[in-house]
Amino acid sequence: MSLLCLGLEGTAHSFGAGVVSSKGEVLSNIWHMLSPAEGGIHPREASRHHSDMGPGIIRRSLEEAGISHNEIQLVSFSRGPGLGPCLRTTATMARTLAQKLSVPLIGVNHCVAHIEIGCLESGFEDPVTIYASGGNTQVIAFAGGRFRTFGETLDIALGNMLDVFGRTIGMSFPAGPSIERKAAEGVEYHQLPYSVKGMDLSYSGMLTAAKKLHLEGVPIADICLSIQETAFGMLAEVAERAVAHTKKNELLLTGGVARNNRLTEILEGVAERHGASFHRVSPPLAGDQGAMIAWTGILQHQAGDELPISDSHVMPKWRTDEQDIIWRRKL
Amino acid sequence: MAHRRTGHNLEAQTLKKQLLTLGAESAIYKVEYWGRTLALKWRPIKPYLHNEIDKLLRTSRTSRECKMLTFVRTLGVPTPAVYSVDISNHLILMDFIEGQQFKQLASVSSKKRITTLCREFGKLLGTMHMSDVVHGDPTTSNAVVDTQSKMWLVDFGLAEKNATIEMKGVDMHLLRRAYETTHWDLQETMLESTMDGYIDISGDNAEPVLTRANKIRERGRYH
Repeated sequence: MSLLCLGLEGTAHSFGAGVVSSKGEVLSNIWHMLSPAEGGIHPREASRHHSDMGPGIIRRSLEEAGISHNEIQLVSFSRGPGLGPCLRTTATMARTLAQKLSVPLIGVNHCVAHIEIGCLESGFEDPVTIYASGGNTQVIAFAGGRFRTFGETLDIALGNMLDVFGRTIGMSFPAGPSIERKAAEGVEYHQLPYSVKGMDLSYSGMLTAAKKLHLEGVPIADICLSIQETAFGMLAEVAERAVAHTKKNELLLTGGVARNNRLTEILEGVAERHGASFHRVSPPLAGDQGAMIAWTGILQHQAGDELPISDSHVMPKWRTDEQDIIWRRKL
Repeated sequence: MAHRRTGHNLEAQTLKKQLLTLGAESAIYKVEYWGRTLALKWRPIKPYLHNEIDKLLRTSRTSRECKMLTFVRTLGVPTPAVYSVDISNHLILMDFIEGQQFKQLASVSSKKRITTLCREFGKLLGTMHMSDVVHGDPTTSNAVVDTQSKMWLVDFGLAEKNATIEMKGVDMHLLRRAYETTHWDLQETMLESTMDGYIDISGDNAEPVLTRANKIRERGRYH
C-alpha cells in the first residue's frame, strides 16, 4: 500500500501544497505566488500572503488529489533556508495538521527538495545540479553523504539579477520570461563584466553595467541579449568546472530560471561536451512548490527520519550541506 | 604564421599527442617536442557560448595564463615554464610536471604527509598574496606534487595581479570550499595546516584576508 504525503512549501514569495505518493506519483501540486504591484518582496507581507492563502491552497490540493484529510499519512514542510516569517507561518500550518491528523511531521531542506524532485522526474541517480532561481544560484553535487555546494553566487542570485534589471526598464515581476523574449530580438552583443571565481560567480557587476548601457541608450533587446549570454555563459562555466571536477555523468537544471530556453541550450552543450546526460526540470516542478517537499518528506520518512513537534523550529540559514542525506547510498 | 607576433604556430592537430585531461575550459596533452616531453594546453571553441564571449575568454585567458605562470615563478612559486604560445589558436606549450595531482595524493597519503603538503600549499598562496597576486582557482586539482615531493601550482587562467583584500579573501574562500567539497573527511586538518603555512608567510597581513574570507562565505546566500 502506497503512502501519501502532504508537502507544504513556503520559504519565500510562494506558498504551495502538494500530495505525492511513495511510488513517486504527483497527485496534486497547487501554489500561489505573491506578486507585488511594484517593488520587491517584503518578508512580512509574504508571510501574511501565506497565512491568507494557505488553508485554501491546502484544501484545493487535497481536492485535486481526490483524497480527504484522514488519508494523509505524512506531513512535510519546508523548514529552511528562507525568510523567517514565511518559514514560521508554513511550519505552524504543518504542525497543526500533523497533530490534528496524528501523523508524523518531517522537516525538509528546500534546496535538497529541488534536487530530489528533479531526480524523480529525470530518473537521474547522482547528478550535478544547477539550481538557479530568484533567491539561489548554486552548483550542488552529492559527495560523502551530503549534498555539497561546489559553487554559488558571491552576491546576488541569477533570477534576482534578471528581476532587478527588468524592474529598472519597467518589466513586471518575474522579469526573466520578458528578458528572454526581448533577447531573441537582440542583434548586437555588448560586453558586460564576466565574473567567474573558481566555481563561484558574481552577478552584481554585470547588473550595474547593464543599467549603464540602458542609460546610454543601447536598445533594450541588445542589452537583454548581452545579459543572457554573459550571465548564462558564466553559469555554464561553473557547471562545466563541477562536471569536470566531480566526473559525474548527469547534469540537472532546476529552479525558476530553468524555464529559460537559452540557458537550457547552453547547458545541453556543456553536458554533450563532457558526455553527460542533461535534464531540465519541467516548469511545474522547477519552481517553488509543495510536491518537492512532499516527495523529499517520503524519502526521509522511509529512511527513518521524523521530527518531533517540540524540535521543529524553523532554520532560516539551513545550508544545503548541513543535512545528512540518510536516504542516499553514501559515495 | 610561425613568426608572426601572435606567437609560435602550435596547431594542436599536427602534433603527436596524448590527451591527459579534459578540463572545464581546456584540454591538456602530453607532447614530444624539440626532443622533450612537454605539456600542451589548448582552449578549444565552445560552440554553445556566444562566439564573441567565447573568443574573448579563450584569448584573454591564454594570454593571462602565460604572463602569470612566468610572473609567479619570479616570486619563488614553482610553476611550469612557458616555452611557446600561439595566441590565435589558444595554445600554450609548457613544462610537463611528472607527478600527481594533490587532489589524488590527498586521498591516499598519510595524515602527516597531507599536513606537510597543505602547509606548503598555504605557503605558496601566501607568497603570491604577499605580492598582490591571486590564483583565482586554488583547488587541490591545481597543485601538482612531483616525484621529488616538490609542489607546483598550475592553471593560472583566472589569476590576477594588483589583488585587493577582497580578491585574496575570495581565494581563501575558494580554498576552503575545495576542502569542504572534495576532502570532507579531512577538511579541518587540511584547512588548519594550510592556514599555518599561509600565516607563516603572510604574518600580520593574513588576518584581514581571513576575516574577509569568512564574510564572503556568508554573502550571497539566501539565508
